[in-house]
Amino acid sequence: MSNVNISKLKAIVGDNNVIDSPSEMAKYLKGQGKPAVVVLPGNTSEVSNIVKLANEQNVKIAVGGAGVGTKGLSGGIAMVMSRMNRILEMDHLNLVAYVEPGLLHKEFLLKVGEAGLNFPPEPYEVETSSIGGCFSIGDSDSKSFEYGPTRTFLLGFEMVLPTGEILEIGNKCIKNVSGLDFIHFAVGSQGTFGIFTKLLVKLLPAQEAKRAVIGTFTSIHKANATFNTLIKRNIQPTRMNLLNASLAQNAIPGTEGQLVIIDLQGFKESGKNIANEIAAVLTLGGGTDVKIIEDEVEYDQVVNGWLKVRADLNGKPERTVEFLVGPAKMPQALTQLEALTGDLGTYPGVVVEGLLGYVCLALPEGTDKLALAAKVNRLAMSLGGNVKGLLGHKLKSEAYNDAEMWQQTVGLLQELRQQFDPKGILSPGVSLEA
Amino acid sequence: MLSQTVVNRLKEIVGEKNVVTDKVGLLTYGYDGTLLSGEALGVVSPHTTEEVVEIVKLMNEHNIKLVPRGAGTNESGGTIPTQDSVVISFTKMTKIHEIDTENFVAVVEPGVINFDLQVELEKQNCYFPPDPSSYKASTIGGNVGECSGGPKCFKYGVTRDYILGLEVVLPNGKVIQTGGRNFQSEPAYDLTRIIVGAEGTLGLVTKVFVRIIPLPRAKKTMLAIYDKVEDASQTVADIVAAGIIPTTLELMDNLLINTTEDFSHAGLPRDAGAVLIIEVDGYPEDMDPQVKTISEICNKIAKEFKIAQSAAEVDQIWTSRRCAFGSVARVRPSYGVNDITVPRSNFPKAIQGVLKVAKEYGVTIGVVAHAGDGNLHPLVLFDQRNKEEVETVHAAEKALCMMALDLDGTVSGEHGIGLVKKKYLDSEFTPAAMGAFRKIKRSFDPSNRFNPGKVFEL
Ligand SMILES: Cc1cc2nc3c(=O)[nH]c(=O)nc-3n(C[C@H](O)[C@H](O)[C@H](O)COP(=O)(O)OP(=O)(O)OC[C@H]3O[C@@H](n4cnc5c(N)ncnc54)[C@H](O)[C@@H]3O)c2cc1C
Ligand SMILES: Cc1cc2nc3c(=O)[nH]c(=O)nc-3n(C[C@H](O)[C@H](O)[C@H](O)COP(=O)(O)OP(=O)(O)OC[C@H]3O[C@@H](n4cnc5c(N)ncnc54)[C@H](O)[C@@H]3O)c2cc1C
Repeated sequence: MSNVNISKLKAIVGDNNVIDSPSEMAKYLKGQGKPAVVVLPGNTSEVSNIVKLANEQNVKIAVGGAGVGTKGLSGGIAMVMSRMNRILEMDHLNLVAYVEPGLLHKEFLLKVGEAGLNFPPEPYEVETSSIGGCFSIGDSDSKSFEYGPTRTFLLGFEMVLPTGEILEIGNKCIKNVSGLDFIHFAVGSQGTFGIFTKLLVKLLPAQEAKRAVIGTFTSIHKANATFNTLIKRNIQPTRMNLLNASLAQNAIPGTEGQLVIIDLQGFKESGKNIANEIAAVLTLGGGTDVKIIEDEVEYDQVVNGWLKVRADLNGKPERTVEFLVGPAKMPQALTQLEALTGDLGTYPGVVVEGLLGYVCLALPEGTDKLALAAKVNRLAMSLGGNVKGLLGHKLKSEAYNDAEMWQQTVGLLQELRQQFDPKGILSPGVSLEA
Repeated sequence: MLSQTVVNRLKEIVGEKNVVTDKVGLLTYGYDGTLLSGEALGVVSPHTTEEVVEIVKLMNEHNIKLVPRGAGTNESGGTIPTQDSVVISFTKMTKIHEIDTENFVAVVEPGVINFDLQVELEKQNCYFPPDPSSYKASTIGGNVGECSGGPKCFKYGVTRDYILGLEVVLPNGKVIQTGGRNFQSEPAYDLTRIIVGAEGTLGLVTKVFVRIIPLPRAKKTMLAIYDKVEDASQTVADIVAAGIIPTTLELMDNLLINTTEDFSHAGLPRDAGAVLIIEVDGYPEDMDPQVKTISEICNKIAKEFKIAQSAAEVDQIWTSRRCAFGSVARVRPSYGVNDITVPRSNFPKAIQGVLKVAKEYGVTIGVVAHAGDGNLHPLVLFDQRNKEEVETVHAAEKALCMMALDLDGTVSGEHGIGLVKKKYLDSEFTPAAMGAFRKIKRSFDPSNRFNPGKVFEL
């Protein structure tokens, strides 16, 4: 079965940090795969030695902050980073921090907040996501229009490569174009280029003022139309999100109808006027229960409600379809979408991130995801958009009947992965095929 | 020399007028913003992606390398033809395909001049934040190649942050599209990010999807004048500590104050140690409180502080900064531009370091800096005709780079590596990092066909 040499692993990290009894392993594992062992390294050189051992014995490794996805990992090593969870430095002069990857994202947000600073990227999963995972997944969130996507906040890192070699790159400079930009290229590589063991993160001063405007609508189309009105009026809040009725209740219990959440961070003096203008636009657009939230506790409840909905959707990627068309095309997109989905208001889940022109659909039981994604992509393409990410590229190439472009793209991705990980040791669950 | 067959084929692809092979013609493409030069086998200027593909295939058949070139304003030798190569010039690909302000995206060809795009965008109340001081000449393709920065980086970031997607012709002649019209269209790996700043070594950019944003509603420009550079640095630290993110924190030292005064008579006191241009933008209501905080900070240590009250006064404040590079030519005929960058907290030490280098090597160095970014442009003045002096200047520039690395900085904050700083790369990066660069280059360009020998040796 597995070649993992448990005693050698114990020699690297100590007996207590190697777990191989299935019942004890379970709490660290996600999915159906059966790794041979869970190992919890305490520092970079331990990570490096574990990877070297895996190379010698040709076993696979997957990494996680608190828990590890086990897809493709049968017989392999599940590496849990939770012991490497320190903030090594918080540098106020340069607005940066050195962080270990196993620190939970939510804990980091707390510490950053206490220090009077701001780290805009939001946790993928509220309870379990780690800072290593944050940059490993990369991506953007509904605040990215204002702050930029996740990669904006990485200035450097230490990484254990698939060969066990330790790579350090980056510095505290916010401007740095030396060499190739491996710093940002590594963001979103999902552990295939290496395991983050230290991150140099960019921070911002804390936003002194925070406000939200919320409102409910009977029609999802009317709700969305208010976003277009706001953009036409040249108002760009920090985020503007729309949750359909099925999701709205999960965000703010008791909500009836389609929920609009508009977030204003910063805007210290202007915020009052902007909030009033937004509230007026929502009301005029048919919104009811339109409310400006200035109370800190209530504001946090709204944002946390949104994060919970987002995490639920992130947790089941096989049950969601995501696409982008740009804000101005959203009204047409939603109308045309109903030919495929039926009434969006009562669909299992619809999220619109208004400033990004992004939609996430949570699919009804039994839906053929790929078939729907292909249709959605055609719709999105007719409006200048596409399905998100690698799947979107595949569907686009199919729609253009351009097999060559797809082959080139996938060929390049695989060549890159192969160059970094010739033996195919790391992140077996990650597929570059879509 | 190119064989007649190749020349004829190139002319078939792009048209007679768009192929240069005569000595005089080639000369103009042998230079860029550096002292280096080289001679290309030929220069070819395509108009479309299809023509680029044909050129790449033809060059591959004949085993000839390609050097991509925009306006050739880079300061690092990135467009100098080396290794028997043909220059592929993008100056004929100047179409703005689309400006879509409601979806915050524009689609342009790589040869579009940054300024020309800004003019079109401004008509629709939008802009493209990356604005290198060379924006009147430099191309979007070149901005992408270098990942250029500008005076607004502190708040708005660099070119990398405004490129949503690219159409790229790979070294094998195939076309891919990276990213798209939004943040979330990268195919698993963020291919756009690795091509931005790769100085033309990975792929030829034939289309650029740029992120555009609405112009700020309000802006305030301030000028602070100091006895000592250290005082200006203190202001920068204090502004950051106050939680303010200005768009701009531009600094000039005493030498530059004097050279720009000779040139523009803006009325800066010639005995001042440094001036700082500070700009904030945002909603009108948010301006006054920020200006108030900044005034309080500046008035504590600045010798003079003023807030521009009119567009004319804003212009006057910027006049000196805009002519900074050119103005030093009155002192000495040549200058070397450096772009070392250090963590903001080490900025005062970097200024000290520059003074030390100037003294040690007996050279004159003036400093212009994006102080908020810790990015310095020490301008080393000399006379290019004096061979000995040129050697000294090279030694001084090396010392500047090493000083930046000692201060946990980088040898390049915005101009790139090209040929000029290639020799310092092993001092900045560990072998593992250099190895990662090579793995990436090999994945894209295993035969080393695009811009060979730039940034690092494969
Ligand atoms: C394509 C895909 C399919 C999924 N399928 C399922 C599923 O079937 N069931 C399910 O419950 N959830 C699934 N998820 C969600 C996933 O399992 C996690 O819930 C989600 O990635 C967040 O993980 P986490 O909270 O454990 O965060 P983290 O532990 O922070 O990990 C997030 C990601 O980052 C990687 N990572 C973590 N730390 C490091 C590090 N130090 N260096 C490098 N990489 C690191 C992990 O391997 C993981 O891919 C899927 C996610 C994706 C993207
Ligand atoms: C007076 C002056 C002021 C400057 N100010 C600044 C400043 O404030 N900030 C800053 O960052 N820089 C500045 N620069 C440097 C320079 O202007 C920038 O790097 C600029 O972006 C280069 O653009 P270009 O069109 O001249 O590109 P080029 O110099 O022609 O090329 C730059 C690089 O990109 C590659 N390249 C060009 N086009 C393509 C393409 N289509 N596909 C692939 N690769 C391509 C080239 O091979 C080369 O490596 C300044 C230069 C001068 C002379």
